[in-house]
Amino acid sequence: MKQSAVDAVIRGLKRAGVSIVCYLPDSLFKELYPALDADPDIRTIRVTNEGEGAAICGGVFLSGKRAALVMENSGLRASIEPLARMGLGAGIPVVMLMSYRGELGENNWWAIPHGYTMEPLLNALRVPYRVVREEEMIEQSIVDAYEWSYNAYYHSAVALGGSVVR
Amino acid sequence: MKRFDCMTALAKHLEDELVILSLGASVDEWYNAAPHMREASLFQQQLGCVTPQAFGLAAGLPHRRIVSLDTDGGMMFNLGILATLGNERPNNLFVIVWDNECYQSIGGPPTHTASGRVDIAAMARGAGVEKAFTVRTLEEFEAHCESGLAADEPYVVVAKVAGTVQPDIRRKHSDGREDKYIFVRHVEKTEDIVIMGPSEHN
Repeated sequence: MKQSAVDAVIRGLKRAGVSIVCYLPDSLFKELYPALDADPDIRTIRVTNEGEGAAICGGVFLSGKRAALVMENSGLRASIEPLARMGLGAGIPVVMLMSYRGELGENNWWAIPHGYTMEPLLNALRVPYRVVREEEMIEQSIVDAYEWSYNAYYHSAVALGGSVVR
Repeated sequence: MKRFDCMTALAKHLEDELVILSLGASVDEWYNAAPHMREASLFQQQLGCVTPQAFGLAAGLPHRRIVSLDTDGGMMFNLGILATLGNERPNNLFVIVWDNECYQSIGGPPTHTASGRVDIAAMARGAGVEKAFTVRTLEEFEAHCESGLAADEPYVVVAKVAGTVQPDIRRKHSDGREDKYIFVRHVEKTEDIVIMGPSEHN
């Protein structure tokens, strides 16, 4: 990611009121994680799998603070069970920011499944999402996701793809 | 050692704490053992989510003591949270694992702890949670409740309990969605904050 895209993500998170970020690092967002770690207004929590991160974000919601789950889109698959339980069962929302691996332009065979599965899984869970491939859309898209999730009390997602992450 | 007796002992020590608890019969037992904590308890049906949610709550409310009532099946569903606690070191999170060595709510098939080889407290210590203990008597359990509720580091108690359910107790009627609203309104009231506020007029 370019520094300007990293800055846009952090501006969006701050405008949305986020103070805690749970993440499992990936390669497309590799510049983002140290920037989040270094930001004095954001507490980062590294997790062992994205499902654990989703559940921690759910707990943060219950505290009145705002959290984000940042991950590669393969993490969506690891998160499905807690997302289904919390979102569909209790109405506890998690806002996700994920890198879009496996879309057209993917240069790794192992990432192809991530492209096949991300959007169908989001649709199966009825999670509204926006795929952002233009840097100028990043900040507002993150703000929009929180606005929606804090009225629906359900999950939403922003996937960053294209030249934003490559 | 019966889980219900442990819950009754724990309840005596709770006042301003917030509780997140696991699924199955322990929900109804807690509902009856700690009636003064009903609004302060989030009753969830989520294997593997309980201690992570409790940690998230603890991270968001660092001045408040949070209690996680997890289970052997629930903790083993996501052992990674122990490593996260070992490194994040929350100073306001007390975790109790009801270890009845079985999946009680579906009739009692054994969990891995039934073999006697799998030790959740030892795994917690290996994950960096030094204060992790297994208890087998009510006296030990209550002593660890006092220590765990006053600890300034993550504290895990694995309570070896019988695979029985307290008979003739009232069932909790609300579902997960209603429970969430009750809990959130309690947090809002006691913290003087807004979590689920009104929509805009437009």
